[in-house]
Amino acid sequence: MTESTVTEPLVVEETETRRGYAGQSVPRKEDHRLLQGEGVFVDDVKRHNMGFVHFVRSPYAHAKIRSVDVSKALEHPGVVGTLTGEEAALLTDPFFQISSPPGAHLRDFCLAVGKARFAGEPVAAVVATTRETARDAAELVEVDYEPLPAVTDARRALDDDAPVLHDDAGTNLTWEGVYEWGDLDAAFAEADRVVKISELHFHRFNSTPLECNGALVEYNRGTGQWTIITNNQFPGFAAIMMGPAMRVGLDKLRFVTQDIGGGFGNKITSHPQLVACCLLARKLRRPVQWTEWRTDFHLSMSHGNERWFEDTEVAVKNDGTLLGFRTTALDDAGAWLRYEPLGGVIWAQVTPGMYRWRNIRLDFKQVVTNKAPCSPNRGYSRMQHLWFTERVIDIVAHELGLDPVEVRKRNYIRAEEMPYETPNGCVYDSGDYAKMLDTALELIGYDELESRRVDAEARGRLLGAGIGSTLDSGTNNFGQSRLINPELQFSGNNEVAMVKLDIFGEIVVTLGTTPQGQSHETTAAQVVADMLGCSIDDVNVRAGHDSYWNSHAGFSGTYASQFAVTGLGAVRGATELLAAEMKKLASVVLGCSPDDIELAEGQARMKANPEAALPFMALGAIINANNAGLPEDLDVTLNCRYVYRPPFQPPDVERKFGNLTLTYAAQVHAVLVEVDPETGVYEIVDYAAVDDCGVRINPQIVEGQVMGATAQAIGAATHETFTYDEDGNLLTPNFYDYHVPHALDMPPLRTGNIESPSPFTSMGTKGMGEGGGAGIHAVCAALQDALRSRGNPIVYDSCNPYRRVWELLSDPESSRQRVTVEPG
Amino acid sequence: MLLSEVGYARPETLEQALEILVENPGARALAGGQTLINVMKARAASPDVLVDLGGIPELKGIELGSDGTLEIGPMTTYAEVISSAEARARPILGEVCAQIADVQVRNRGTVGGNICASDPTNHLPPLLAALGAELTVAGMGGARKVSAGEFFLGVYMTAVGLGELLTKISIPPGRADGFASVPIGVDGTCIVNAAASLNGGARIALGCVGAVPVVVEPESTKVEAVRGAVREAGLEPPSDVHASADYRRHLAEVIAARAVRQASERAG
Amino acid sequence: MGAPVVTSQTVRVEVDGTTYERAVEARRLLVHFLRDDLDLTGTHIGCDTGNCGACSVIVDGKLLKSCMLLAVQADGSSIETVDGLAEDGQLNTVQQAFADHHGLQCGYCTPGMLMSATALLRENSSPSDEEIARAIQGNICRCTGYWNIFKGIKAASGQEVAE
Repeated sequence: MTESTVTEPLVVEETETRRGYAGQSVPRKEDHRLLQGEGVFVDDVKRHNMGFVHFVRSPYAHAKIRSVDVSKALEHPGVVGTLTGEEAALLTDPFFQISSPPGAHLRDFCLAVGKARFAGEPVAAVVATTRETARDAAELVEVDYEPLPAVTDARRALDDDAPVLHDDAGTNLTWEGVYEWGDLDAAFAEADRVVKISELHFHRFNSTPLECNGALVEYNRGTGQWTIITNNQFPGFAAIMMGPAMRVGLDKLRFVTQDIGGGFGNKITSHPQLVACCLLARKLRRPVQWTEWRTDFHLSMSHGNERWFEDTEVAVKNDGTLLGFRTTALDDAGAWLRYEPLGGVIWAQVTPGMYRWRNIRLDFKQVVTNKAPCSPNRGYSRMQHLWFTERVIDIVAHELGLDPVEVRKRNYIRAEEMPYETPNGCVYDSGDYAKMLDTALELIGYDELESRRVDAEARGRLLGAGIGSTLDSGTNNFGQSRLINPELQFSGNNEVAMVKLDIFGEIVVTLGTTPQGQSHETTAAQVVADMLGCSIDDVNVRAGHDSYWNSHAGFSGTYASQFAVTGLGAVRGATELLAAEMKKLASVVLGCSPDDIELAEGQARMKANPEAALPFMALGAIINANNAGLPEDLDVTLNCRYVYRPPFQPPDVERKFGNLTLTYAAQVHAVLVEVDPETGVYEIVDYAAVDDCGVRINPQIVEGQVMGATAQAIGAATHETFTYDEDGNLLTPNFYDYHVPHALDMPPLRTGNIESPSPFTSMGTKGMGEGGGAGIHAVCAALQDALRSRGNPIVYDSCNPYRRVWELLSDPESSRQRVTVEPG
Repeated sequence: MLLSEVGYARPETLEQALEILVENPGARALAGGQTLINVMKARAASPDVLVDLGGIPELKGIELGSDGTLEIGPMTTYAEVISSAEARARPILGEVCAQIADVQVRNRGTVGGNICASDPTNHLPPLLAALGAELTVAGMGGARKVSAGEFFLGVYMTAVGLGELLTKISIPPGRADGFASVPIGVDGTCIVNAAASLNGGARIALGCVGAVPVVVEPESTKVEAVRGAVREAGLEPPSDVHASADYRRHLAEVIAARAVRQASERAG
Repeated sequence: MGAPVVTSQTVRVEVDGTTYERAVEARRLLVHFLRDDLDLTGTHIGCDTGNCGACSVIVDGKLLKSCMLLAVQADGSSIETVDGLAEDGQLNTVQQAFADHHGLQCGYCTPGMLMSATALLRENSSPSDEEIARAIQGNICRCTGYWNIFKGIKAASGQEVAE
């Protein structure tokens, strides 16, 4: 890497001048403690007498568990107790399954019961007075396994002789659904050509947050309540899963989080381990501490969906107009459905990608295999689908000899068509994709491409340019879960915030969210300070989440690109209530009407006579400590709670139609790669990322998210993959074999930004943070472009390590056999 | 992540270290710990006793003899090689050490640890094999010299036997050296590497393609001759998540030629 | 007489100016000693193979990963961690530069990054872009993509940063 400069984000569209904090890159409130190592991450918390838990994990991908004998472990000095699957099956009910049958029949407990279904699955737990003792004692737990054949390739999971993971389901096909909109027959009849792609593959990886999962669980015997100090990023979901399983009301589960070392979706499905810790805390009468080590995380937690796209057919006109497509998506969910099969519908938030085709059919089949369970990973399910649409665009352009830039522009949804209703009723709120593409191409120096190609060739390198465009759909309508299972009673979404004015004039904000680096304390404070007319330093946003604060609702958490809409929507709503109350109170004291009052410079004052003013402290003191003589009907508490609810309807389950997400941020990336044709080694030599997430409360924070997602995309595109051998052993179980990008791997990066405000949110903001998948799309396209002169191979996999590039170089024909172009 | 119980000793002399190794057959020498501690975290090996060599002065230091031979103490860290004025007599040493991992690892990892680990993907075994280094192995009964060609016996296995320690690495003089590799990510683990030395005849040592470095001596430094010699070596490289056997075989040819080219450029 | 073989011993270390003395098992890693025995939780753990650098500290002037050193090996040493950077709650130059350039998001890699940056700037007060990247090559970050960290370190060195 020769350069590491990042140029100032190129703001292409200026919106109106903003006053106040919103729109400014104010310094972060979080930084003061984090820079001093004074963040409180879950493993930093200690409790007297706490026991350390170690999970005994199955070495086999598939095996009957004939017996589990913990007696020797219990005798080991320092061991305080154990938990087995048998106990779990007695003490708890199976976790609620989102799926309709047959997936509904899976019996999932906090420990394996009767059978281990992936290598690394927890089978028993040992608790001891030190970490090392727990680890030592785990070796004394004797598990009698009877190994069974394993299925590790989703494409084999439905063979007649494939081992069936769950007898309760009777099949490995745990969920399937057919989605069809428009008129496929007409589209293919109108087509000049049909491009057929036999198989594309989106690979298995995840975002490997630097901090793994963890918890410290205490049980209060008197009240029957557990306090779960954890870094789970979606406590609303965890509670819904854990309560019924543990046969307790949700109020018995108090979730406390503070600083979380990255989440990216990979800290949503720790509920099985949390249940195990709860059972142990109650059983052993002491706090129980769980630290997930890196290898544990890689083996067992939150792999991203691996998806095969089979028998794709694309109807296209000669000029590159795309009319429609059909495909079969075969999704590999791993051994358990912990958040799945929601991935089977969430892709539909972006059914047509960024393109205007109206005739689409997707057969979705999800299977279980003897691998780690999948659950959300940054870009969850949309990334897979958007990669697919981008590959299709690129392959179509490639095969028809058309310019990939022109094909995109011809088919992009246009700015003037926004808000745009997709074939399945989702509404893209705003955006100008063509402009973003132009910006990205300008940043990457696309005009100089040919001369750069010549220059690279002189150095023995093949230069390639690639575009990747992606949508970052945010703020889910959980009603989409009914498209998976019509019996489910979920819909809409919510988030909560509380804002109060304390006795001494402090503004205190409590969020329902669980940030893992997204700077919620800062952006919330920006919004509140602007609305109350005070200094951002006077706004204290509590760090983290505590369900005891009752600042949460069913969907509270931080996931799915939504904070700027749901979290800030709640903050705004609560602050509006507080502001109204402050004005009402001031008007009573100052003898005027609330409309005569403005909030500015930390005071409530009369607009007509600013000298007549009450500082916030006075307002707070009156209500809290000095309220005699106030009118009886004065409805002012200065402690306001607001539940933000996005405007959704339950979707039409029959037609699979309806708006599934409120906002659609977008990113367009352009990449230049240089391939060494002798070795297949390649380098990303230039990179441009353009994003649009509507109004940006804090541009620097938005850009930080774009950069981080870009880096993860680069890692996923080049080296990161959870690869299994035939026996179901994970070959990349740690950071030694699973290579994530390090500092020297980073290309120079240029960023650009446009702001297309969302018409559907109170501030014009859109959720963002997941859009980096564009990097995967772009690198694939760049490699395909680079290898054009070497037999025109087709890039068919989302991950292209050197060995795959070499395969494409050595045998381009094999990859080309996946694609045929037929007359329409 | 968590080690098994282990005994720990920090001898002050070579003799003390050898004594402990002899008395405890389950003991292992602890050099920089950048490999062994990770092995122990994974419980892939759990020695009974760790003999910390960090306090033994005679195992450190780099001396440049009047004949140009470099004598390197095995407890010399990669960082010390990189910054050593003496080691610049054979520049390839510092250049290769600078490609290993990162600053933290280079501050602790040692030349002796790297070669005694005999991990097929390590940098120094093929380098020393190409340079024709000589290793001094000492036991209670005395010391003996072992050529690089005889030092590496297998994966994680070297000529250092029970109760013995590597005490010196001797590098003959020369400057026409090259090293090339395909790492996973910059300065990452190598998929294939090769060291070439043109002092005297052409000698290439290939890493990552066998249990021990494979030495190849082509008739000339021409690309075709080098690649042909590599092919004739009949490599049977491992297949793993990063590369198939075929891919490694192919890379070995290319990388060997590149190492030779670099060495040729320095020969003039 | 040979050196004694012990399975535990008393370890005396100075950490950020404070001296500690504790009995510790030989097998305990330095990072666990700092975090669990000394309650100095600023230094973090992100992996189990010595790759991530979240545990980076400076021992006797050398930057290293504290997950690959036994606590007993640090007996008698002087250790610098993130706790020693700020003075009376005032962020030092490097810390402030990270804040100014948004060089952290979740903050988990940050202590290790700061120590690597500190080690770099001690021996190279005007590092090039490549030298900066090399200095933190052993520190994995999953949130920032490193670009803002490069800027922060460059700014901390007093060099102009392309904004």
